[in-house]
Amino acid sequence: MSAILDHLPEFWQGLTVTLQLTAASFLGAAVVGLVITAMRVSPVGVLRGIGTAYVETFQNLPLLVLLVLAVFGLPEVGIKADLLVTAIVVIALYEAAYIAEALRSGVNAVSTGQGEAARALGLTFGQSLRHVILPQALRTVVQPLGNIFIALTMNTSLAAAVGVVDLTAAANRVNLMEAQPIPIFVGAGLAYALIAACAGFVTGRLERRLVVVR
Amino acid sequence: MVSMKRMAAVAAVSMIGLSACSGTDSGSPAVPGEAKGGDLLAKAPVAAAADILPGSTMEKIKQRGELIVGGSLDAPLLSQQNPTTGEVEGFDADMGKALAKYILGEPKVKIVNSASETREALLSNGTVDVVFQTYTITPERAKQVAFAGPYYSSGLSLAVRKGTTGITKPEDLNGKTVIAGANTPAIPAIKKVAPQAKIVTFGGDPECIQALKQERGDVYVQDETLLVANAKKDPSVQVVGSPFTTDPYGIGLKHGDEQFKKFVNDWLKKIQADGLWQQTWKNSLGTVVQGEAPAPPQIGSVPGS
Repeated sequence: MSAILDHLPEFWQGLTVTLQLTAASFLGAAVVGLVITAMRVSPVGVLRGIGTAYVETFQNLPLLVLLVLAVFGLPEVGIKADLLVTAIVVIALYEAAYIAEALRSGVNAVSTGQGEAARALGLTFGQSLRHVILPQALRTVVQPLGNIFIALTMNTSLAAAVGVVDLTAAANRVNLMEAQPIPIFVGAGLAYALIAACAGFVTGRLERRLVVVR
Repeated sequence: MVSMKRMAAVAAVSMIGLSACSGTDSGSPAVPGEAKGGDLLAKAPVAAAADILPGSTMEKIKQRGELIVGGSLDAPLLSQQNPTTGEVEGFDADMGKALAKYILGEPKVKIVNSASETREALLSNGTVDVVFQTYTITPERAKQVAFAGPYYSSGLSLAVRKGTTGITKPEDLNGKTVIAGANTPAIPAIKKVAPQAKIVTFGGDPECIQALKQERGDVYVQDETLLVANAKKDPSVQVVGSPFTTDPYGIGLKHGDEQFKKFVNDWLKKIQADGLWQQTWKNSLGTVVQGEAPAPPQIGSVPGS
């Protein structure tokens, strides 16, 4: 236990970085995911193709491969950014594919009559998406989005492999000095579990309030 | 029926292929340098039957017929898997094989790729018998595991991009971005000698070298032998100064197994005395470090061993 208590500042700093990574990449993923969803349900064939290609590409590559490519490959072609920023961008782009799929399932859950009614009222594609389809779609996918958030939190630990000192890296460093893997990694694991539990609690509450009864 | 026949034919052909392969193996080795490890192990001693005490860890290993070693597959010169032969080669790997021969009479080892964050747990739950993995003996670690040895003494040194000026000694690291391997003793060592240094860590040695070349840091701190090996392969990197720490490597054993620890220490003394230790060094680390083999460290000379 003292192995954790003696190193609380390191753990705290690692946890802060993990929370930053999680929050920033989830926000980024939400924005990109929304755009991809709009493309996938749009009437323009080319946009639908791009959207499909995006989702297929990112869902079929391991995140660690993308991270290593971005950190060690991009500098070879002259693009070098801060490690934390690189990790945020890569995780956001990767998770956007999953958010897009969740949102698309929400859009599919909205009955066709709603879209037809919106068109009959003279709304444009953008307007009907914004005012009619997406609000209902979002309410349907609160729980899946919560699950993606939890998965994203766990995925941030891969950033430790490319030099970001997050909670995982901090735990590794402390263990190196204290040589007590069981309490240290159980402690770090509990911190991750706590973040996941909070996310689960919030989405559960939101779901009950927002659910569309059909 | 057709498919059965076809399968039989495939099986027959592959058998012929296999026997052809094994045929070349029995002759002179096709891969240069392969004989060295073999010669070395042929000379390696075998323990007297009386030394394998009944009920001891040694006896259990002997009954199992193989020594399970916690080690690495990606540490050049120490324990690296040769992509063409599949053999794990290097100083640590050869030591593990020699210990296996001492116990079993033949160098049968199974290397479990143990990450540095799991070594203590793997030893205490009995997944591995011994750890040969540049395992620096420290008093904190000695509370969790037992250390035989030290069997080798190394030290941390600095590597920079060729042409870098102003970094020659550890104190110069203050205010610089320093690259280190995740989970290496370099991290606490850097904090001690240069508290104002910013440390970035990457998984393995190849990533660290890449990061140094891509200017993610000014200097890379790592074991001198690894750095020398890297600098030899890659002329854009150079080693500066001399080692500023002493890292005594121990053989990790299960905590409290005094019998096995004494057995392994006796073996170490034996191979140091008969020159096998020195020959193992020359075959691995000695291929990049200049000069004769160093004097092996005194067994039990370090706190924690």
